[in-house]
Amino acid sequence: MSFLVGVVLLAVVTAVACALPGTFMVLRRSSMLVDGISHAVLPGIVLGYFLTRNPDSPWLLLGAALSGLLVVLGSEYLTRTGLIAGDAPQGLVFPALFSVGVILVSLEFSDVHLDTHTVLVGDLNLAGFRQLTVGGLDVGPAALYVMAGVAVLNGAFVWLFYPRLKLATFDPAFARSLGIPTGLLNTALMLLVAVTVTAAFNVAGAILVIALMVVPAASAFLLTKRLSRMIAVTLVIAVGGSFAGFWLAYFLDAPTSAGMAVFQGIVFAAVFVATQSRRTVPVGGAAAAR
Amino acid sequence: MNLFEFLGNHTYRMVFLGTAAIGLASGALGAFAYLRKRSLVSDVISHAALPGALGAFLVAVLLGLDGRRLALLLLGALLVSGLAVAASGHIARASKVRVDTAMAIVLTVFFGAGMLLMRVISDGPYPGKGGIQDYLFGNATVITRADLATIVAVAALAIGVMVVFWKEFSLRTFDPAHSAFLGFGRRVDGLMSVALVLAVVIGVKAVGLVLMVALVVTPAAAARQWTRRLPTMVALSALIGAMGGGLGTYVSVNLGAVPPGPVVVLVLFTVFVVSLLLAPGRSVGHRLVQRARVRRALRETA
Repeated sequence: MSFLVGVVLLAVVTAVACALPGTFMVLRRSSMLVDGISHAVLPGIVLGYFLTRNPDSPWLLLGAALSGLLVVLGSEYLTRTGLIAGDAPQGLVFPALFSVGVILVSLEFSDVHLDTHTVLVGDLNLAGFRQLTVGGLDVGPAALYVMAGVAVLNGAFVWLFYPRLKLATFDPAFARSLGIPTGLLNTALMLLVAVTVTAAFNVAGAILVIALMVVPAASAFLLTKRLSRMIAVTLVIAVGGSFAGFWLAYFLDAPTSAGMAVFQGIVFAAVFVATQSRRTVPVGGAAAAR
Repeated sequence: MNLFEFLGNHTYRMVFLGTAAIGLASGALGAFAYLRKRSLVSDVISHAALPGALGAFLVAVLLGLDGRRLALLLLGALLVSGLAVAASGHIARASKVRVDTAMAIVLTVFFGAGMLLMRVISDGPYPGKGGIQDYLFGNATVITRADLATIVAVAALAIGVMVVFWKEFSLRTFDPAHSAFLGFGRRVDGLMSVALVLAVVIGVKAVGLVLMVALVVTPAAAARQWTRRLPTMVALSALIGAMGGGLGTYVSVNLGAVPPGPVVVLVLFTVFVVSLLLAPGRSVGHRLVQRARVRRALRETA
């Protein structure tokens, strides 16, 4: 497989893997939690690399995902104490975890070859560089297979739990009354988000992975009113946007993941403007008066 | 190095005073953001400051000015961060996209644009482009006398706005409906955002854009545990912020290879955890003691 094809495939598969859980994060008003999780996986990645010495090890993936889950559980705990108000809990937890990660990186604790710059934005081309060879045959970047595995995992999760996820997302109280373990489902979703973010870390970094996870889903959210259609539209925007963003960045010689993020932003802006003119009564009227 | 040697050294004294001023301003304004339950908007501000500062750098260099002037970079950051806050507010008001998603979108897209600008700058032949990487994680070791003057002036401006409009700010915080009724709705919101943007952008170069959110959220959350009064909370939050900024840079200088931003955050986080566990009258520890006392009283009466 040629390098370019491998990298394009990697970009597209990453976008798909991120977009799937992203739809539910947008619907559950947890978009900023993606930001928290994506920063909190850093100490897990550094420690995981120290223990496994293999950046593609599934153990590293799981360990880092668990450290990402710390943000979710930590901020849930802080909210439950009733002592911390509003959106502050996650803003308290994730910078602390990220700081631990940065300190470990800068002390070269595990000689993990993470440029602090790459931590934030990733490097698609670097991630595509480590090629996997099977029986002497070059079959493309190793990261591609990790990402594809995560995409399949996310797809299977959404497929298997679709009715339950839907109910727990739109009417959690009713879902609980039917005996659906909403707390467990929520934690499972967050764990998947954390796994996805970790796997996408090399590709997109801690901040631009939010663009892949949240922005296509938000564009789709403006375009549809049905969950099934929203997921389909999200996937189309994610694939189309990452493909177009990739080539745009390629021809402009711009950093790939940043190019993809900005391109997704342009798509959202276009959808936003297009859907504005269609409206007559603003739904946010009550909010505007506040 | 002990604290006196640290403060006797000119470079370190600049750094210490600079980060303390940053912590003071973000702590004070953070208290209002915290009480309005909008702390995370500071994360949007700090990420949008990157394209702002880099854009200002490019414009300044193309006009033949010195691109490293902090005041110039802050002006760019101020404009673009303000635009970002307004954009996320507009998206949330004018469409069915909720505010958390709007913030996430604006944050990541503006940051992406900043990374594109950073590539343009690092590939181009621009004079004085060294150190633009500092915006990501912060570099407090290069605060000059002019930088310090700029930081202190902007911090004073942010705190000044807060003091002048104290009554409007506190009314808007505790009774938003009444405040809107009096005609202080969106305009006061705008003013509060401007003050917060001022407080956040001065920290981006020294503390780093990723971690500025902690300087806004953490002192306020810690201060809230110790008091029930607004003036006390704002003052305490500002003090905790200043202390965390100063002490954090001191520790970071002593550790050597570690950038100050993460150390400042961990110092503040420690203060927060102690406050959450031990503050009298409101904390987790206080509740445990209270519960034990009630249990004992119950056992004695039974």
